[in-house]
Amino acid sequence: MRDDPYVIALVTRAAKGDESAWNEIVERYAPLMWSICTRFQLGRHDSEDVAQTVWKLLVEQLGKLREPAALPGWLATTTANECRRVVKTARKCERLGTMPEEAEQFVDPEVIDQELLLAEQNAVLRAALAELLPRCQQLLTMLFLSDPPRSYAEISATLNIPVGSIGPQQGRCLKRLRECPILIALVEGDRGSTDPGGEPGA
Amino acid sequence: MRDSRDDEQLMAALREAMRAREAVPDWFIEAGKSAYAWHNIDAELAQLTYDSSRDTERAAVTRSENASIRALTFTSAHLSIELEVTEGSLLGQIIPPRGGTIEVLTSAGASTTTPVDEIGCFSVVPKPAGQFRLRCRTTDGTDVLTGWTTV
Repeated sequence: MRDDPYVIALVTRAAKGDESAWNEIVERYAPLMWSICTRFQLGRHDSEDVAQTVWKLLVEQLGKLREPAALPGWLATTTANECRRVVKTARKCERLGTMPEEAEQFVDPEVIDQELLLAEQNAVLRAALAELLPRCQQLLTMLFLSDPPRSYAEISATLNIPVGSIGPQQGRCLKRLRECPILIALVEGDRGSTDPGGEPGA
Repeated sequence: MRDSRDDEQLMAALREAMRAREAVPDWFIEAGKSAYAWHNIDAELAQLTYDSSRDTERAAVTRSENASIRALTFTSAHLSIELEVTEGSLLGQIIPPRGGTIEVLTSAGASTTTPVDEIGCFSVVPKPAGQFRLRCRTTDGTDVLTGWTTV
């Protein structure tokens, strides 16, 4: 796993009692855990159970994590294990007729690794956007992330800038986004392992 | 100078990233945030291992007269908490039986404590409205917290 100093700082702060750091960890990695729960086709109740258990385990480990950078991998593995437990319990309790082979397919560790890589990349992209100036965030959001896309006239009115300067500002904001250190780290990490199948923890 | 295809690729990736975040329900995020309440609390987690209401659809055909009483079981490594939900109260027993206290913690942050008698029985009246969890501390020093639930 990449050595992400920001994640290490978050874990350290959360271990010292900073709840906002904890909330940020949750915001950052809940999508990873959610995608794994979705892979296991868990319902609301079971997903909530898994989330509670995994986050509780992490809270207990906060002060003892010797390599906070390994956190995403740990979360993915622990979530997958909890999902397996929940699926087994559900089958025992409710005598579901789920085919065992079907469940085996869900527990394929390669699928979990792929979800992990994708979620990591997504978390870095979101963090990079969040580090831009609010104005840049707004502009890029309106230009590229709105559905339906906003018109230049609308953007001009909302951000109070002339239509003619939207293009140049967009260029500057995108440049800043690319220059964000965590994004550069991600791109360089990609070059290190170009296999789309995903070598975990390289 | 990068070409616009690079930009489009970057923004497409960002779009996917935002979508992945938006797909996560609020309650799932909340489950993570509320877990911080465990920080520096040395209690075991008791997991919901049985809930009669989960059998409702299946049991509808063979419903008996007591099917309307909901029963829940939380299990930890050291004890189980069995609950029965009646109209106005929550009746419970600690297995294996022993005395102590039961604390009802609501998601709003309120807390009330009820004694557990020496055969492990307790009652919470009125039953908690909304989301809550139970913290059970026994006389022999076991400290157990259940996951969030509603009855």
